[in-house]
Amino acid sequence: MTYLNMMVPGQSGRVVGFSDDSKMVRRLYELGIQPGRSIIYLRNAPFRDPLEVQVGYNLITLRKSEASLIAIEVDE
Amino acid sequence: MSNQNAAGNVISESTIAICGNPNCGKTTIFNAITGLNQRVGNYPGVTVEKVSGTFSVDSTNKHSFTLVDIPGTYSLSAFSPDEDIAVSALIGSLKDAKSPDGIICVLDATNLERSFAFLLQVIEIGRPIVVAVNMVDLVERRGLKINFEKMSQSLGGIPVVPVIGNRRVGIEELKKAAADLPNRKPITVGTNYGPEAEKLFERLVNESNNGHRNRAEYLRVIFDANSPAEERFLLEEPDLMEVLREGQSRIKEVHGSLSLTETAVLSEKAATLFQEIVTIVRPPKTRNSERIDRVLLHPVFGPIILLLTMIIVFQSIFSWSEPLMNLIDSSFSWLASQVEAVMSPGPLQSLLTDGIIGGVGSVLIFLPQIVILFLFIAILEDSGYMTRAAFLVDRLFRWCGLSGKSFIPLLSSFACSIPGILATRTIEDRKLRYITIMVAPLMTCSARLPIYAIMIAAFIPHKTYLGILNLQGIVLSSLYLLGIVVAVIVSFILKKVIFKTERGTFLMELPSYKIPTVHSVSIRVLNRAKSFLLRAGTVILAITIIIWALSYFPHDGKITHQFASQAETARFELKESTQIYSSRLDNFYESAPVDVRSAVDDIRESFSVGNNIEDFTLIRSQMNEQHNELYGPIEALYEIQRQELATETALTELKNLEAGAYLRNSLLARIGKTLEPAFKPLGWDWKITMAILAAFPAREVAIATIGTIYNLGTETDEESLSLIDKMRQARWDDGPRQGEFVFTPAVALSIMVFFALCLQCGATVVTIRKETSSWWYAWGTFTYMTVLAYVAALGVYQLLERFIY
Repeated sequence: MTYLNMMVPGQSGRVVGFSDDSKMVRRLYELGIQPGRSIIYLRNAPFRDPLEVQVGYNLITLRKSEASLIAIEVDE
Repeated sequence: MSNQNAAGNVISESTIAICGNPNCGKTTIFNAITGLNQRVGNYPGVTVEKVSGTFSVDSTNKHSFTLVDIPGTYSLSAFSPDEDIAVSALIGSLKDAKSPDGIICVLDATNLERSFAFLLQVIEIGRPIVVAVNMVDLVERRGLKINFEKMSQSLGGIPVVPVIGNRRVGIEELKKAAADLPNRKPITVGTNYGPEAEKLFERLVNESNNGHRNRAEYLRVIFDANSPAEERFLLEEPDLMEVLREGQSRIKEVHGSLSLTETAVLSEKAATLFQEIVTIVRPPKTRNSERIDRVLLHPVFGPIILLLTMIIVFQSIFSWSEPLMNLIDSSFSWLASQVEAVMSPGPLQSLLTDGIIGGVGSVLIFLPQIVILFLFIAILEDSGYMTRAAFLVDRLFRWCGLSGKSFIPLLSSFACSIPGILATRTIEDRKLRYITIMVAPLMTCSARLPIYAIMIAAFIPHKTYLGILNLQGIVLSSLYLLGIVVAVIVSFILKKVIFKTERGTFLMELPSYKIPTVHSVSIRVLNRAKSFLLRAGTVILAITIIIWALSYFPHDGKITHQFASQAETARFELKESTQIYSSRLDNFYESAPVDVRSAVDDIRESFSVGNNIEDFTLIRSQMNEQHNELYGPIEALYEIQRQELATETALTELKNLEAGAYLRNSLLARIGKTLEPAFKPLGWDWKITMAILAAFPAREVAIATIGTIYNLGTETDEESLSLIDKMRQARWDDGPRQGEFVFTPAVALSIMVFFALCLQCGATVVTIRKETSSWWYAWGTFTYMTVLAYVAALGVYQLLERFIY
C-alpha cells in the first residue's frame, strides 16, 4: 500500500482509504474518490504539482499535499 | 406572490430555483429558458451575485416565473463561503430571501451516479422538484442506456425531462414541467441516515423553537460540524447546543466519522439507483478530454499554448476593436455637430454637446474592447480551458503567495475587477482569498484602457525597433506588466507578513472539453455589455454632468461683454482699413473698359478660392504674371483678403481666449488650482489634477472630464479638431512654465503609471467591503494602491524629466 502522491504518472491503483477525516475528505468522496474505486494517475502540472487523476469517468485535479491523504493499492 | 403590471392584469409570480453539480450544463439550460430576460443582482445582505431571469409558458404572459440560477455545488454540504450562500438560497435558509416554490435539479447524464447523490440531498428540502437530465446525447458515446421512466418511478414520481441544453432540445418540455411545479406536492423518498442521525433529527425538530425549518436544514446542522449552517442554528437555538453535540459524537462513535456518514449513505443509495436505471451497453471509449489534456497540459507545450492564448486574446482586444471604436467616435462627433447646428448657443447646448455627448461618447467608445474581452473569457470558460489554465499555473502562483484558483479571478480582473473579486469565492482558504481580492484591482482593467489608449496615441512616438518592436506597444505592455509585477510583490508581502497562509487546496474537477455554443456565449457577452452601458448611463453620466457644471459655471457675464466689445472693435477696424482699398477698386472698375472689367472679375474669382496667407501670396504672383498691367487692382484685392484673414484669425483667437477665461474663472479651476501644488511634482497642471480626482469614483470619468475640459477650453472653428490635438496644443496658462506644453511624454507616463496602480473605482471598494465584510480590507486596499500610485508617478516623472526629456 502507498499514497497517491508517491505514485508516478501512468500508474493506476485502487483507493483503500483516507488518512484524515476533514471537509477535504468529504469533498474527495463527493468527487468520486471513494474506497474501492480505481484511480489512474494521469500527469503532473509544470513544476510537478498539482496532479491530474482519472476516477471512473471524471478527471480530477489535486495537489500533492491532498494526494498524500489518499491511501492506494497500486495495480501490478 | 402577485402584483399588477402596467396593463392592470394580475400576474401570478412564482420563484423556481435551478441547481446542479458544477459543469452539468445548468447555466446553458438557464440561458435557454430565460434568454435575455436576465438580471444580475445580489442576495440580500451579501454580495453574492444572484443571477435570475423570467420566463412564461403561455403567450399572454399571465403567469410569469422567476428562475434563479443557483451556483453549481457538489453537495449541500458547503465547502466554501460561496457554496454556503448558494446552498442557503436553495434550501431557503437565507435571511430575508424568499425560498423557492419549486426546484429544477439538473443532472449530468454522463455523470449520473454523482448527480444522484446530489439529487437525494435536494429532495430533502421538501419542495416540488423536476429533474432535467442534461447531455443525453453523450450517453451513447459512453456506452450507457438510461431508462427515464424507471428513473421517475424510483424517485417517487418526480417528473424527469431528458434535455440537450446546448441544442435547446427538451427546453419547452422542461419549461412546462417547471411551470407546473407550484401546483405539485413535494415528493419525499426520504433517505435514512441510520438510527443515530434520525434520532438526533427528531430531537432537534421537537425541541426547537422554530417549526419552519425543513429536513435539509437540520441535516446540514447535524452533519456539517463547525459550519456556518451550524453556527446560524446555534445562534437561534442556543439551548440545543448540548443535544446537538451529544448526538454528533454518538454518530461519530458508531460510524467513525460525522460528515462521511452522510456521504457514504448517499453514495450507496446513488449507486443502487444508478444500477436500477442505467444499463451499461459496452465499455466506454477513451475520453476525448483526456486525449486533449495530453497536449494542452503537456509539461512543455501546455505552458507555451497558454502563453500564446493570452497573447492572442490581448492582441485581438486592440486590433479588432479599432475600426469599431473609430466608428463610435465619428458617430458621436457627428451627433454633437448636429445638436450644435440646431440649438442656439447657451448652457443647454454646452451641456448636451460638451457634457453629455462628449462625456458619454468618450466612455462608450470602449464598448468594443469590453465585448471582445468578455467574448474570450466566455469562450475559454465554456470550453473548459480556464480550469486547465489554473492547473498549469498553480505551482507558479503559489510561489507568489497565491493559488492556481487565483488565476481565473485575476484574469477576469483584466476586464473588470468586480467580477474578478466575485470569482474569488471559489477559493476556500480565507486568507488566500483576501490576498487575491487585495491584488485583483492591480490588474489592468478595461476602464484603464481609455487613458492608456489616448495618452499613448498622443504622446508616445510611433517608433519601431528591430523591425517588430513598436514603442507604443512596448509602453502598453509595460503598463500591463507593471500591474502584474506589483501584484506579485504585494501578494508575496501580504502572504509573508500579514496573513501567513497555511496550505490551501486545489481539489476540483477538470470539466470535459466542450465546444461553446453561440447562444450561451452571446448571452454572457450581451449581459456584460448591458451592465457596462448601464454604468455609462448612470454613474459616469452623473459625474460627467457635475464636472461639466463645475467647469461651465459661473458663466460670468462680464467676460462675455469684454470679449464682445473686443470683437466689435476688431470688426470695425477691419472695415476702416479695407475701406480705402475697396473704394479705389470701385473707382477703377467703373471707369474701366469691358475687357478690363472681366479681367478684374477673373482676378477676384481667383482670390476667392484661397484659404490662407500662402494661397493669397501665390495667387497674387500668378495674377501679376498674367495681368501685369493690372498691378493696382491686384494689390488692392490682395490687401482686402489679407486683412480679412487677419481679423478672422484674431476673432478665433478671441473666442479661444474667451473660452479659456470662462474655464479659468470656473469653479472647477478654482478647486483645481488650490490642489495643483500637491500634484505639480507629478507634472500635472490643474486640469489633469481635476480629471484624475474626478476619476476616483470611476476611472472612465477621467477621459470624459478631459474631453469636457478641453472641449470647453477650445472653441475653435475647426470642429474636427480631435481631443488628442487639443491636448497636444494645451499649454500652461500661468506659473514658471507659462506657455510651455502641458503634456510631455514624461507627464503622459506619470499619468498612466498613476492609473495603473491607483484604485479609482468606488464600486470595487464597495465590493471588497462586502466580500470581506470589513471596511478594513476595502480601505486598506484603497490606501496602499493610492499611495503606491502617487509615489510611482512621482518617481517616473522626476526621473524622466531630469534624465531624458
